[in-house]
Amino acid sequence: MTCPRCLYDHAETVTAAPEGGAAVWEVRQCPRCWYAWRSTEAPARTSAEHFPAEHRLTPEAIDAAPELPAVPPLLPGVPEPAAAPGEDRGATA
Amino acid sequence: MPYDDLRGYLEALDEHGQLLRITEPAAPEPDLAAAATAAARMGPRAPALCFESVTGYAAGRVALNVHGSWANHALALDLPPTTGVREQVAEFSRRWDSFPLPAEHRPGPPFLAHTLLGEDIDLYRVLPLFRLNAHDGGFYVDKAAVVTRDPEDPDHFGKQNVGIYRLQCKGRRRLGIQPGSIHDIARHLRAAEERGQDLPVAVALGNDPVISLVAATPMAYEESEYELAGALRGTPAPLARAPLTGLDVPWGCEVLMEGVIESRVREIEGPFGEFTGHYSGGRRMPVIRIDRISHRTDPIFEHLYLGLPWTEIDYLMGPATCVPLLRQLRAEFPEVVAVNAMYTHGLVAIVSTRSRVGGFARAVGLRLTTTPHGLGYCKVVVVVDENVDPFDLPQVMWALSTKFNPSQDVIHLPGMPVLPLDPSSSPTGISGKIVLDATTPVPPDHRGRHTTAVTDAPRTQEWLTRLTSWAQGPRPSTGAAP
Repeated sequence: MTCPRCLYDHAETVTAAPEGGAAVWEVRQCPRCWYAWRSTEAPARTSAEHFPAEHRLTPEAIDAAPELPAVPPLLPGVPEPAAAPGEDRGATA
Repeated sequence: MPYDDLRGYLEALDEHGQLLRITEPAAPEPDLAAAATAAARMGPRAPALCFESVTGYAAGRVALNVHGSWANHALALDLPPTTGVREQVAEFSRRWDSFPLPAEHRPGPPFLAHTLLGEDIDLYRVLPLFRLNAHDGGFYVDKAAVVTRDPEDPDHFGKQNVGIYRLQCKGRRRLGIQPGSIHDIARHLRAAEERGQDLPVAVALGNDPVISLVAATPMAYEESEYELAGALRGTPAPLARAPLTGLDVPWGCEVLMEGVIESRVREIEGPFGEFTGHYSGGRRMPVIRIDRISHRTDPIFEHLYLGLPWTEIDYLMGPATCVPLLRQLRAEFPEVVAVNAMYTHGLVAIVSTRSRVGGFARAVGLRLTTTPHGLGYCKVVVVVDENVDPFDLPQVMWALSTKFNPSQDVIHLPGMPVLPLDPSSSPTGISGKIVLDATTPVPPDHRGRHTTAVTDAPRTQEWLTRLTSWAQGPRPSTGAAP
């Protein structure tokens, strides 16, 4: 499935209507730009062809986006975290 | 009586004719956002909306516009729904005198009725999420109380922060969060990330109305929102211990999400239609991983529409912005009478003050720009005399028309900080600021011809009371004044 916003080819179905399932609606999301839409929304929200040009995103724009807030430097002596960013590191204590 | 949860407040709104229950099935898009947008245009007596049936949900319940009128804001403070804006702000400030009023922990929070853990979590099944504005990057949660503690001082109750931040749903158990750099949560996150640690977080959704008010109030870092909630309620705010993180959370919340803000992770977020009436996005922001959800049976999804002002958020933030600014100014300048900072969270603010000495009013205006909240707001400050009501815009316009001389009464401050969401800031987060002194010059500032102002006839107030009474009831048989 193609993301209407960034055209990534691996957008996913996240969930379906709790009552009636996919026949009623599905929610889809792009794991690259995080755009989400419901299958029942207007074409400007659901199809790459009709998605507004001024709101499109490219991989370059995503990479160049500023951080808010910026990630601070680690305090002296604090080791680099082992897990890669975004990786599930298990339940909180 | 203060309300201990959202349900109690909705019942009170219903009793006062301030709630519309909508039982017809509504489509998540575009019905819910359209109805909330429309409700915001119904004026100072606009009702809250409670949708009881959302397509695709067996029991989807959505509450909108809950704080979205002056009548509802008054009822949130347990005041008569006809209470005027200026009076509501004054009462808010008067109750702040009781701050801090310690919170109380209660057993048996109703949110413990249902629990979801780890990969069993699906936010979309718990909440009827929907798109608010057409170009939003996804579905948002934007009226939840987000609770964190200071990693450097985790036992300090006052440093525990309760704030409302926009949360973008990024999957079944993942939320993007916007912790603005000037907000306390950003301080907590920075301390955690400097240590390479995740920051435990609790997101309490669907709260008693005072919790939302205090979460929208700019408070000092060590001041507890919960202890302000107690002062506003006149009785301690009921809290519960969050089962996973141990954070203090509102006892009556509908849904409690717990997890962590993942350390040193940033992901693209937005855009989102903001309270400025403009979209903001295109930045990489932190992410919450949800590890546990607790919720009441058939939880109510309390949501807030925001867009081109005025919308619900302007009522929610309006008095909550005026009061701390008023109190901070008065602490140093007791001559200050009132502050109206209700325009876009105080980007424009009006102060009325007595003048101690020539130039005093502009000093007060400048001080407003250097209050903690003013650093990111208060871009345009108008200062008026003590006899001008800053909540009465025709009076303010009169002061600007006749007291203000652009040759001498403009103070322009270049290169000042402002919140990055201000679409006029350039570069982002930097703006000029301006103070417009529309007060009457006092010695030694001898300027203008202001001694000729017209004053009321001697018995005007008495006649106003009498005429108002007659207009509301039967008039006396004779027209003679008593």
